[in-house]
This record gives sequence, C-alpha cells and structure tokens, in this order.
Amino acid sequence: MAKVQYDCTMQEGQIDAETRARLADGLAAVTEQALGVGAGEISVSFSDIPQGFGFRGGEPSTTSLVRGSVAGGVEQPVRVELMRAICDSWMEISGCTVDDLVVTVRDA
Amino acid sequence: MPYYRWRVPEGSVPYDTRSEVAKAFTDIHCGSTGAPRSFVHVEFAESADAPAGERYFLDGFNRAGRPEEVKQALLSDLLDSFVSITGVDKSEVGGRINEGPASWSMEGGMVLPEPGEETEEWYAHDGVAAGG
Repeated sequence: MAKVQYDCTMQEGQIDAETRARLADGLAAVTEQALGVGAGEISVSFSDIPQGFGFRGGEPSTTSLVRGSVAGGVEQPVRVELMRAICDSWMEISGCTVDDLVVTVRDA
Repeated sequence: MPYYRWRVPEGSVPYDTRSEVAKAFTDIHCGSTGAPRSFVHVEFAESADAPAGERYFLDGFNRAGRPEEVKQALLSDLLDSFVSITGVDKSEVGGRINEGPASWSMEGGMVLPEPGEETEEWYAHDGVAAGG
C-alpha cells in the first residue's frame, strides 16, 4: 500500500487523459518535495462525476477535488505547504482557477 | 467542505430534482452554519445494488467542531428536504455526517477555518453567486 494516496474527482469532460497523466506527475513531484517520499510510495487515481450529477453552491459544479491521505500523518505546516503546492501544480497544468479546486490532505 | 454525496438507485432522481435538492441543501447548510454558498458541494452517485431500507443514502462530510445537536438538526433537515423534494418514502432514506479537521482542507486557496473562526476574507471568497 502506498504511503501517500490521492483520489482525484473531477467533473466529466473537463480534464482529458493526457492532462490527467501530467496532473499525476505533478502530484508525485510536489509530494516527493514536501514529504521526501519516493515516487513508488505515491498512488494517484482519477474518477469522474457524470455531467449533471455534481453541484456547488446549488449550481452545476466545475470543481475538481483532490483527496490525499498520508500514512502515519503529517505535521500541519508541512500539510499546508503540500496543499499549496498541489494547488499551484494543478492550476498550472489544468488551467483551472483556484476557485475550481478543493484539496484535502488527511492523516491515515 | 461541506461535501454531501447521495447514493441513489439508477435513474431514480432526474436532473431537475437533483438540482432542486442541491439548491435546498445549500440553503439549509448555509442557514444552519453561515458557510459561504460556494463551499457547499452536492454529488449524486447512482447505484444498482443499494441495500433495502437505505436505497437513498446521504454521506456527508463537514468540518468538525459543531455541537452534536447542531449536527443532528442539520442531518434531519437535509433528509427531510430530500424526502419532500423527491417524494421518496422516508423509510428508504438514511444518512450520516462524518467530520474532519477543517485544517486538513484547502478551498479557494485558503486553509478552511474552524467553525466559529471564519474571517471576512473567507466570506469574501464566495465565488458562486447565491442561487436562491
């Protein structure tokens, strides 16, 4: 089992396969830098919310969610650093805005 | 956060109804907690093998730190709203709200504040217009 797992959920049709691969690489890179873990200890999965099934503020959602879990936990300053790095990487690669991204990094 | 995810039988809740439920949930959650509307996420996931008695099940996830009575009232209001809008029999509806530390999440580029510690800056980040 990977030390760091990311489950990424996005709205159907918003992010293509090639971009997902780059997003996964970006997640691995920032995680390696923030936590010092190797790429082999990081897993990334993607799933889609079908069109018309995701809402935010009562309106159709354009938001992606990155849910991370770190085995053994992480100190809060490092967590914040990692979440910021994930936001920056995700926005740069996908072209989304900061309002279209939710990032969670929980202790596992 | 909050994140509300409904598991429903396939084809049982049409788009217009899902939209109405999402709006109602946003109203209820924001009315109860004061959270910005844009932080309320509602998702529907269709399932072919939902267990009897819980064919319609709400899995919620909120920031930790609210009194138990507030959480229970919120869950009750959400479930009642779903039943009222969809017409589904209440005996087929279940739900729970799990919680996690606010500080584990970043939304709109900001670490979420603990309940009761929200700043004006956080409210100013409400990027979704109020829909009613």
